[in-house]
Amino acid sequence: MGNQSSNIEFALIGHQDCWKNITRFVDFLSDGKRNLTAEQVAEVYSFIPPRMVFDVEVRSVTGQVAKGCYIETFIAPDELGMRYWKKNVIKVKEAAECARKMHAGIAGLGGFTSIVLEGKDNSLNETSSTKFTTGNSLTAAFIVKNIEKACSHFNKDLRDLQLLIIGATGDIGSACVQYFSGKVKKFLLCARQQVTLDALTKSLHDRRIGAEASTDIRKLLPEADIVIAITSSTIENFDPLLCKKDIIICDAGYPKNLVFDLKGAFSERLFCGGMGQIKGGYSFTPQIHHEFYDFPVQNAGHGCMQEAIVLALEKNYQPYSTGKGNITPEKIECIYELARKHGITEAPLFNSLGMWS
Amino acid sequence: MEILMPAVQRSKTKVYWHLAADILSQAINGEIAGMSNFALLTATIDDVHEKMECVEHANCERNHAEGFMQIAKKFNLPVVINPNAHYWKKVKEVFARWAERKDFIACIIIQEVVLECFAVSMYKDVGMALADNEVGQLFLEISKEEEEHIEHSIDLLKAELKKDYTGFIEKVEKVHDDCMKIMAEWTVTRNCDDSCGVCDGDCMKTRLYAADLDIKTLRGNAMNLYMKTLDRIGIPGIKSLEWVTNLPI
Repeated sequence: MGNQSSNIEFALIGHQDCWKNITRFVDFLSDGKRNLTAEQVAEVYSFIPPRMVFDVEVRSVTGQVAKGCYIETFIAPDELGMRYWKKNVIKVKEAAECARKMHAGIAGLGGFTSIVLEGKDNSLNETSSTKFTTGNSLTAAFIVKNIEKACSHFNKDLRDLQLLIIGATGDIGSACVQYFSGKVKKFLLCARQQVTLDALTKSLHDRRIGAEASTDIRKLLPEADIVIAITSSTIENFDPLLCKKDIIICDAGYPKNLVFDLKGAFSERLFCGGMGQIKGGYSFTPQIHHEFYDFPVQNAGHGCMQEAIVLALEKNYQPYSTGKGNITPEKIECIYELARKHGITEAPLFNSLGMWS
Repeated sequence: MEILMPAVQRSKTKVYWHLAADILSQAINGEIAGMSNFALLTATIDDVHEKMECVEHANCERNHAEGFMQIAKKFNLPVVINPNAHYWKKVKEVFARWAERKDFIACIIIQEVVLECFAVSMYKDVGMALADNEVGQLFLEISKEEEEHIEHSIDLLKAELKKDYTGFIEKVEKVHDDCMKIMAEWTVTRNCDDSCGVCDGDCMKTRLYAADLDIKTLRGNAMNLYMKTLDRIGIPGIKSLEWVTNLPI
């Protein structure tokens, strides 16, 4: 896969969420001489085989250092739909092979790439000394902790609030449901598949937990006090005009689920969810940090990637998060505590306009 | 262009067969370029074993060219064979410069990595698109044979990398700059402004739709195989990424 054999502690497998980042990355590779447009870059991008593109070094507050690398899958941001499913699965598997060849102890599957581990097929882990994790447990941990933080920011009590989870039957969505069970006034559950949504609602009703479900966001949105958006694609019918004025929104999708003008009502009501901050810092070699990670918060990154880093720092090369629906509140707390030990915590609340004041 | 079609061909459009003729023309010219390259190398190198290998390679390319010519004749498809065809001539000139320096390894990289990756990938894509007739089947067969050439060269080039890691990577980069740029120019998504000297009439890229093909995918798949081949030889992934992202688009 185009990488020299090496022994690294972790590999981070990912994809870019926008052409702007990709174009900046290609510019970096040509020393800024080419100035290609996104359309030109798109002509070749998705044909590039997965490969390691930079080394990553992460520093724990304990003084430990973990060495790893980032493997780009070259899945195009506009090829995340079902039409490209087979092609993308092949790419993720090729990227996984790349991590294996580099003898990574643990590999985190970031964003959309986790699809390969969320199904029933666990062959990625069965035949490999490199172990693979979706990183969904730490992502879920950062989402729920930041929801709690956002509520206290506005002096709101979770027990009085109705929580809308868009993508409620997914791996992270269902983890959030488990975590907040008994902690919120009522669940509003939204997902694409009516059957799985019904099953989830019934299981909550059986436990005497209030829940209402619909495949149509517009039916649930007017009732929501808090929203967690965690789907694999942009939510087209999220109408901000239907929201309560004092709503709290966590957009934890990658690529971002909610695309609307943040300025005004939502500038300090919406935050990017699932993000963590590495207090000890991290560095990339070559230094292409800004082409990849451009956040208003220093040393920020995605929880899914940071789970693999935490496991590497712990020398615990186990597939912590695999399958779907296996993330319990206990698992969330456990990985969260391990992360905190190394100075990896939920990121301060921020969105594309900047940090919340 | 007048093409006399046997009954089996009538189900396809005229544009489709015009395209098939152009594709066959490109393939024949490419194979003849390969044959000429190896024939030239045979005369310049001193090592007897390398000489014998070159003759074998040249003969193999000749057989492929003949195969394509025969199928074109069988289907009454008029092909253009032009020793001065723009891109293929440039490829031969590049090869000749490395052959003059008696650089067997550089010549192998040009022929067995750069050109064969394009051949294997494009023959496969074309073969699948034309799979319901003998033309397509021949492309698939030859694609498989060319694949073996790549496999064979990978072991040889891996050994060269082991001998001189830095020097070998520098050589691959030079060869890439020399030859892959020509192939990239040939396959840019816009139509060729001037005639390449092979297509019958205007640029064949305008006709690819007739067989559900498009130049972006043909080129992309070829680059994908090229990068995977470089990966297998042991070229660092970030290097080949840098090289490919700097090619003409």
